[in-house]
Amino acid sequence: MTATERTLRAGIRGRPLIDGLVRLLGPSKVIGEHPEDLLIYEYDGAVDTATPDAVVLPDDTADVAALARFCHEHGVPIVPRGAGTGLSGGAIPVEGGVVVSFARMSRILEMDVANRRAVVQPGLINLHLSTAAAPHNLHFVPDPSSQKACTLGGNVAENSGGPHTLAYGVTTNHVTGLEIVLSDGTIVRLGGKAEDGEGYDLIGAFVGSEGTLGLVTEITVKLTPLPEDKRTILAAFPTMDQASASVSAIIASGLVPAAIELMDQLATQAVEAAVGAGYPLDAGGILLCEVDGLRDGLDELASRIEAICRENGATTLRRAQTVLEREKLWAGRKGAFAAMGRLAPAYYVQDGVIPRTRLPDVLRTVSEVSKRHGLRIANVFHAGDGNLHPLVLFSDMRELERVHEAGLEILTACVEAGGSLTGEHGVGMEKNCYMPLQFRAEDLALMRRVKTAFDPADLANPGKIFPTPSRCREFQLHATR
Amino acid sequence: MSLDRNETATVERLRPADARTCADILRRAGEARQTVRVRGGGTKEYLGDPRPTDLVLETTSLGGIVEHVPADLTVTVGAGTRFRELEDALARAGQMLALDPPHADAATIGGIVAANSSGFRRARYGGVRDLLIGTRCALVDGTVASAGGRVVKNVAGYDVNKLLIGSFGTLAVITECTFKVTPLPVATAGLRARFRRAADAYAAADLVARTPARPAALAIDGRARDAWELVVLAEGEPAAVDRAIAIAADAASARGRAERGDVTAALTALRELPASADGVLVRASLPPAAQTAFAEAAMRLEGFMRLVSDAASGIVRVEVRGDDDVLVAAADSLLADARVCGGSARVERRPDRLRARVEAWGDGDVPGLFLMRRLKDAFDPNGILEPGRSVVS
Repeated sequence: MTATERTLRAGIRGRPLIDGLVRLLGPSKVIGEHPEDLLIYEYDGAVDTATPDAVVLPDDTADVAALARFCHEHGVPIVPRGAGTGLSGGAIPVEGGVVVSFARMSRILEMDVANRRAVVQPGLINLHLSTAAAPHNLHFVPDPSSQKACTLGGNVAENSGGPHTLAYGVTTNHVTGLEIVLSDGTIVRLGGKAEDGEGYDLIGAFVGSEGTLGLVTEITVKLTPLPEDKRTILAAFPTMDQASASVSAIIASGLVPAAIELMDQLATQAVEAAVGAGYPLDAGGILLCEVDGLRDGLDELASRIEAICRENGATTLRRAQTVLEREKLWAGRKGAFAAMGRLAPAYYVQDGVIPRTRLPDVLRTVSEVSKRHGLRIANVFHAGDGNLHPLVLFSDMRELERVHEAGLEILTACVEAGGSLTGEHGVGMEKNCYMPLQFRAEDLALMRRVKTAFDPADLANPGKIFPTPSRCREFQLHATR
Repeated sequence: MSLDRNETATVERLRPADARTCADILRRAGEARQTVRVRGGGTKEYLGDPRPTDLVLETTSLGGIVEHVPADLTVTVGAGTRFRELEDALARAGQMLALDPPHADAATIGGIVAANSSGFRRARYGGVRDLLIGTRCALVDGTVASAGGRVVKNVAGYDVNKLLIGSFGTLAVITECTFKVTPLPVATAGLRARFRRAADAYAAADLVARTPARPAALAIDGRARDAWELVVLAEGEPAAVDRAIAIAADAASARGRAERGDVTAALTALRELPASADGVLVRASLPPAAQTAFAEAAMRLEGFMRLVSDAASGIVRVEVRGDDDVLVAAADSLLADARVCGGSARVERRPDRLRARVEAWGDGDVPGLFLMRRLKDAFDPNGILEPGRSVVS
């Protein structure tokens, strides 16, 4: 972890802030009396850190609104935090201020089976929702690898994806209602259980806004019928080239699997050591593909996928025969990031997206970047939608500059291939300086208009998404060199 | 509809051939405080409460397919392109843009996006907001800006695309769109089932929606208190399509009479209700389970003609005919019912003579309206774009 260079905002800090918050909300909802208690809130799942001035644990929307009004009055930034699993520094108070932990707002408020909707609080853990919906034969589609820990509020903030969003959509496709608190304390209810509303789609603008437009205090989501059955295929290839060519061939053949995931040899070794998912260790690339839905015709679909893999040089093909086998195959994929600890003490994960036809050449670029910087890079990613996750491994914070350089080269290659800086992890404070790679000044100005309408005081998670003059100076020099 | 000033020869009609020219026109209009109507295929001019404008900006020269990479399953297209033209081009590559909007023959892509036009197939494939991944637009300050991109997954910055969908041209002029496309289905099958009661038709639809059958359309057509039809379309792999229709037949047969067969023509007729409607047409978006109660209230209205419902998505249209008082009463009642049901509604069509008596959004009390107005101010501070077209402007 690295303490990040930051510009602190004006407004109150220290003792006056803590005292003011305790007077407002009571001591049981405020952390900061003892500064050491704040340390566990200084990091999330990414590499940057910054200590908050205070942490608040609201019980309900009224607490959040009161807090926001207080912060607005005193010019204090307000930074929402779910489970802290984010991978772009979204929950890091880079300009100081109050971190709002939603740990105490974690209930399912309503399981509306008749409408196939659930109304939940932002601190609810993603997997808990699907677990609660399962007896009704329903589930919440977005399934990030961190789904055992990450929260719905975080999913809304980051517009999270997951392996099964290839066929069924990411978070924004499954949210129909929100209650939000603006940075001035105004409570706004948007949408509900119906799919369309009148006027502008503010829900669509808010989902994925990374806490920079306000705080979400209640979420209404669609629940989707569980598939009747699934077929999960593991295909092992001598090289990543062959594995990625298979992905392109599957997509081009008109098949739309529920998930297509790829993993390279380095990632496989880590996963096998940690999880024992049964992946062949000698393979250069491993493809995990799932088809689901009604059981009718699934075997034939699976056979067609296997045939395409075989044509592209697959040496091993295995179809999960039991639920347990399938769970094991997925446990390997979902545990991949955690397994990286077997290879190195730290990793820096990128999240670039590319058009699917560019997979083989961009993966070659990633491997060249790895050689050039002498850094090991593991690849484990959502190949079906072109969402790469190169994990740059390192062991010493002194390597971080080189690690960032490698990451930037990979992202540049993604953008040059016609892609995006991030597919599901968000921009946060990690890639905000890189935004001009993908967006022209006019495009960023368009987003700025949205920010101004929601948060004119710039107190909602400041220092995220948009390039900031202080932190991005170095990058601008770098870019113009 | 009569927009007198626009029908006189003095209204300037402009047809820019590229986004840059379009933005220049908007900048000059802004400087001169001239109001602007944006027109694609001109198929949905009945929407909202549009007021006469100084200029009409026609997007029909912003046409053509910019980029289509079949293996990436994406297409970028000029906003003035006719939906049919795009559909035909994609079909030649074995693909489709899985929208089936009303006015499908003449509507343009830009108009479909700006009006958030959807059809029954959103049940399986999603609506405009699920398929649009990038836009380019011209703004009143003379800039051309892009939102989103050309890849299917992208969370870099705000999803400004979403704000443009359903904005009716009140924020910016859409000049180019990028969509996810889908392989054409290998197999298609249909089913029609007739019921005596609305509740039975909805119960059958609900049974299907609760399974993983994922039908491509789950439409309900109500023509009288005792004449209801459920139209089911299944698309995909042959075995799954057969099974989906079998599931629908099972769900329907307990309460009504089901018959398999081609439903293309039936669905086209239902989809085109906004084009053919006379009198008042109200469009409601409801929680799915509230549709039955809404339909039962609608069919009891004096002048009730027809109800068409995308039962999977909760989009319900009701057509009412009769004298002015009947139409006004029905519009008021349907708008109120939609709200009681936990949804919202607008009057999509009404005779010109009733524009003063029937407001498109009733009392216009839309949640978050003050925020929408702030957005409108941030995009179009002088309010020159499409005055009256949206509840926001």
